[in-house]
Amino acid sequence: MAHKLARGVRLRREADGSTLLLVPEGIVELNEPAAAALALANGSRSTDEIVAALAEQFDDPDGTLRADVQALLADLAERGFVTS
Amino acid sequence: MNAVAVAPPRSLLCELTYRCNLQCPYCYNPLDLGRPKEELTGEEWLSAIDQATALGVVQVGFSGGEPTLRPKELIAMTRRATERGAYTNLITQGTFLDDALLDALLDAGLAHVQISIQAPERELAAEIAGTDVHERKVETLRRVATRDVALTLNCVLHRLNHDSLPDVLAFAEREGIRRLELANVQFYGWAYRNRGALMPSRDQVMRGEELVAAARERLRGRMDITYVLPDYFEELPKPCMHGWGQLALTVTPDGRVLPCPAATSITTLAFPNVRESTIEDAWYASDAFVRYRGTAWMPEPCRSCDRKEIDFGGCRCQAFLLTGDGAATDPACAKSDRHDLVAAYRDASPERDWSPRRPEPAAR
Repeated sequence: MAHKLARGVRLRREADGSTLLLVPEGIVELNEPAAAALALANGSRSTDEIVAALAEQFDDPDGTLRADVQALLADLAERGFVTS
Repeated sequence: MNAVAVAPPRSLLCELTYRCNLQCPYCYNPLDLGRPKEELTGEEWLSAIDQATALGVVQVGFSGGEPTLRPKELIAMTRRATERGAYTNLITQGTFLDDALLDALLDAGLAHVQISIQAPERELAAEIAGTDVHERKVETLRRVATRDVALTLNCVLHRLNHDSLPDVLAFAEREGIRRLELANVQFYGWAYRNRGALMPSRDQVMRGEELVAAARERLRGRMDITYVLPDYFEELPKPCMHGWGQLALTVTPDGRVLPCPAATSITTLAFPNVRESTIEDAWYASDAFVRYRGTAWMPEPCRSCDRKEIDFGGCRCQAFLLTGDGAATDPACAKSDRHDLVAAYRDASPERDWSPRRPEPAAR
C-alpha cells in the first residue's frame, strides 16, 4: 500500500530548515522525521519502504520509528491529508 | 518598552469585493456599505500579498462578497501567493466558477476550493439565497471534485435549514465529499440584524450535534466533518481568531486591514488601510491590532480567569455588538455579567418568522 499526500496538501520548507504541512485553511508543524517521512510519501513507497529509507537518515535508539511512522500516516489518512 | 514579542501573522484573508449575486440573510458583509468605496486594484492586492508573505503569512484565502466576480485579479493573486510559497484557499459560492476559470486558477497554483450550498435541495436553497442558483452550484461542486485540488463543502446552518441536516449529510456522502463544514450561523453583520429569523432552537442545535457525532463515527476516514456550535448555546466563549492580532489578518475590498473579518462591527476602532500603511505597521503598531492583543486589556472576570490564555476573553466583535464595549467579557461566557443578553435572545427569540432583510444583489 503506497502513500501519498492528498490533493491540495503541500509541504513547505521554511528558511530555518523546519517543514510545514499546509492543508485547507490549516498549518501542521512537522518534526524532522515526520517531514522526511512525508517527503518520501510520493505514491510509490509502502510503509516498509518509508521506514527503511528513514532508518538510514535517523537514529532509532528506542526502536519506535516504525510505530511513529505508522501512527503519523494513520492520523493524516484519517484526516484526509494522506491517501493510501 | 517591555513588551512580549509579537508573533508575525500566518494567515491572510483577501476580500476581493463586497459584490455578490446571492442575498443570503446571514451575509457577513457590513450592513453600512453605503456607496461602495473604491475596490483595491490588482496591483494593490499583489503588494498586500507580497508584504504579508514577507512577514510570515503562509495561508492566503480569497473571499468576499464573491471573489470570482474579479476573475482576473483572483488568478493573478493566486499565482503570486503560490510563487511566494503560500497555500491558497478560494472561498466561493460557486456560481461563476466555470471550467475556464478553474483551469486558470489551478494553473496558478490554487490548492483548495470551499464551495457553499444554502440547503440540500433547490427550493429551500433558493428561498435562503434569494435567488435560484442551487443547481449551478452542484454542477460546480461536481466539476471541482474531479480536479487536482482540495475541496470543502460548506453549509451555514440556521433556523430555516437546520432540520435538513440529515439531507445535507446524505448529499455530501452521495457526492463523495471528503471535507464538510457545517457552520451554525454566527451573529455578526446581516446575521446579527436577522437574529430573530435565523436563531435555531436549542432542540435543533442539540439534535444537530447528535446527528454529526453519529455521521462522524460512520464515515470515519472517509469524511471529515466540522460542526461549529453557535456560541449562544455554549457556556464558554469561542477562542475567537485564536486571539486578537495573533495569527490572522483580513484585508477588505477597500483596503482596510482587520484583525478579524467581522471587526468592522466595532465602530469605535479606526482601521489602518493598505493605501496609507504597510501591513507590517498595521500588524505591529496600529491601535486596531494592539488594542485587544494579549491579556493586559482584559477586565474582570477575564483578567483573573484561568481560561484567559485559552479563549482570550471570547469574541471582541460580539462583546461590542451586545454591550457597546469592545473590551467587555464576551456575553457568550457564562461568567459575563451580561450573559443575560445572550440567554434572552437564545431562549425567547422575539420574532421567529422568516422575513429577513437582505443585502442588495449585484449583477456580474
